[in-house]
Amino acid sequence: MTIAPRSKPVIRRLLCCAAVGIGLTTSAPAQAQDDRAITIALNEDLDLIDPCMAAQSNIGRVLLQNISETLTELNPADGSLTPRLATEWQEGGDGTWTFKLRDGVTFSDGTEFTAADVVHSINRTTSDQLICETGAKYFGGLDITAEALDDHTVSITADPAQPILPLLMSTLTIVPEETPMDEYTRNPIGTGPYVLSEWNVGQNLILDRRDDYWGETPEVTRATYVFRSDDAVRAAMVQTGEADIAPLISEIDATNEATDFSYPNSETTYLRIDTMTAPLDDLRVRKALNLAVDREAFLGTLLPADTQLATQIVVPTTAGTNESLVPPAFDPDQALQLLEEARADGVPVDTEIVLIGRTGLFANVTEVMEALTQMFEDVGFNVDLQMMDVAQWTEYYSKPFPDDGKPRIVAAMHDNNRGDPVFSMYFKYACGGLQSATCNEDLDAMIAQATEATGDERNELWSQTFQKVQEELVADVLLFHMVGFSRVAERLDFRPSIATNSELELAEIKFD
Amino acid sequence: MGRFIARRTVASAISLAFLVMAVFFLSRLTGDPTDLYLPLDASQEVRDNFRELNGLNDPILLQFAYYLGDMARLDFGTSLRSAEPALAVVLQAFQWTLVLALVTMAFVTVAAVILGSLAAFNVGGVLDRVATFFSLIGASAPDFWLAIVAIVIFSVNFGWLPTSGTGSIWHWILPVSVLFIRPFGLILQVVRGSMINALGSAYVKTARAKGVAPQPIIFTHALRNAMLPVVTVMGDQAAGMLNGAVIVETIFGFPGVGKLMIDSILQRDFAVILAAIMVTAVAIFIMNLLIDLAYALLDPRIRY
Repeated sequence: MTIAPRSKPVIRRLLCCAAVGIGLTTSAPAQAQDDRAITIALNEDLDLIDPCMAAQSNIGRVLLQNISETLTELNPADGSLTPRLATEWQEGGDGTWTFKLRDGVTFSDGTEFTAADVVHSINRTTSDQLICETGAKYFGGLDITAEALDDHTVSITADPAQPILPLLMSTLTIVPEETPMDEYTRNPIGTGPYVLSEWNVGQNLILDRRDDYWGETPEVTRATYVFRSDDAVRAAMVQTGEADIAPLISEIDATNEATDFSYPNSETTYLRIDTMTAPLDDLRVRKALNLAVDREAFLGTLLPADTQLATQIVVPTTAGTNESLVPPAFDPDQALQLLEEARADGVPVDTEIVLIGRTGLFANVTEVMEALTQMFEDVGFNVDLQMMDVAQWTEYYSKPFPDDGKPRIVAAMHDNNRGDPVFSMYFKYACGGLQSATCNEDLDAMIAQATEATGDERNELWSQTFQKVQEELVADVLLFHMVGFSRVAERLDFRPSIATNSELELAEIKFD
Repeated sequence: MGRFIARRTVASAISLAFLVMAVFFLSRLTGDPTDLYLPLDASQEVRDNFRELNGLNDPILLQFAYYLGDMARLDFGTSLRSAEPALAVVLQAFQWTLVLALVTMAFVTVAAVILGSLAAFNVGGVLDRVATFFSLIGASAPDFWLAIVAIVIFSVNFGWLPTSGTGSIWHWILPVSVLFIRPFGLILQVVRGSMINALGSAYVKTARAKGVAPQPIIFTHALRNAMLPVVTVMGDQAAGMLNGAVIVETIFGFPGVGKLMIDSILQRDFAVILAAIMVTAVAIFIMNLLIDLAYALLDPRIRY
């Protein structure tokens, strides 16, 4: 009884403190809404912010066209190229292109942008003193040399010749020539509309708008990037006003029509068939695999309803895609019949086929792989599903493949957001391709021919190549063009697109 | 005392040496990190260059010899992910974990000792029943569930606290609260059990018979004797936190050493894995030493 009277002031004090606390904290989100500063919640911390690593998704989302710019810019919606730091370009023959550079551009450190910076950027990105993601991803196997013809003209030569060199230049970030060749910079200097003001490792990274940018002034004055691994937390941050954009949230959290958007993320899932090992070396068996899969059954169940059925390994906005191709029909009876025919001809169709999946490849990947396994077994295949982490999986995905004679199918996801099939076809289908499990001389010739062609001829040749791969060779079981989900605060006028997978240009963000 | 500390230091250094050796070789058995760092389309030439630049082409024994040589100069190597000195990367993360662990354990200790003692003084009373009920729930609830539910309730629904991050003191409330619950439940139960024994002892009965007030009986006479097992459990819980509160760090976006270690293991960032293990092992060694010294302070019969 004596405790009660004493406890009342204590409870009152606690409630009072809580009220003060609540008052203070509720004012915090209000600050995030202030002015034209925005906060972006990324799904992982950045270890590096070197411009030559901008081909990595999250580094690209911070750097590309915000701090660091490129000579040309790809419009992912229609595959067209527009000038950025280069105003015009011209092919001079023998694999050489000449780029005229924009005048009056300065880096954020005040130095003038010249052709010498372009030469240095190319040399640095392709140097063997530094592992650059952009160099490894887009310039592997190419011998690229650049020469400054004058302060605002640069000549770039690729060996072998690259008809899409201007497109390749949309991946190459320009740094000042003072940037060290043999170490990553932690203070990226660029010509873009924003400058890195603060980097609190593990906590946040802040970009501020430049006053001396050569182009149109963007509306966003400051962008703060924060890092949260958990999908639900990123979604909650936008909901509570702590963040304005979460470029990647899970489908489960995408429940608000006003703020949540799905977008094609340029990824295509497929099962790569080892076409050189029995029984998978038999065309009928590969066709049976395709006929056994009920692709429609996955949509709106294990995969988002907006997911599209794939007819080629690149997304439909890529130049040269073949519009006449249709997804294989789901026809288990015909699959069964094809297998019986193959068996009658002595093909060992009962051999165990190892289906290799990769954990974390996309949401529900294990369930999708189990369902695919069941569909294959329903038509008579003997399939052993093995889920692996990325390091194990890579041993089967990239050459040299294990040489044990076992027939394998590898589940993979391919991202080509650069608008041209050249970034896919050689690697995935040519005899020498690093991830190719097929080899056909005619196909190699077609890929080589398309790679060297330009304009409409190039598109037509790629279109024929896609047809050969899917209808004649049946080199894989194509599955889906995937979608991603973003949450965007209602105060912003911004819609995520296929480009959001690799960059997030602040200048495109407007306010309602 | 000095000899005791010297002996413990030598013993810990030997354990640490074996730990480093085991982690060095076992982590390399998990595979080559090249494929994890390079794009899938990277050419063989680029892959070979990556291995060469990072010393992965050398025989593993030679890599170990280089590592020991560097370590003698307190050079723990360079992080593959951030290209920064591994020790600097780890120490930066460890400071967050250390503060998180210290703050949480301070609250846990004060709350568990006071409530556990009061519960033990009146076994079966209202306070005892309530404390036991909630401590058992707390000790059983999974961290990740508590964290998400706390965010939904206090950040999303009520808007009282930030969901995550490290910007202000308000950002610490949810992570500390979530981390608090499990060790609080456990330590409260240990304090309660230990205090029930102490309060049943002859010297407490004598004190009561002499008319000593309850407060000095609990907190002066009984608690000191009941603290030995409590200190042991507290040390165990604190060691767990120093290793990193992975789930809490991940969900609340705390840049601590637990998340760093998990990410480094997944990415095969060998230098950071080893540096993180060294730093946490040294911290745990220091903490165990302090616990041993606390034993001597609490029980005059213990001498080193």
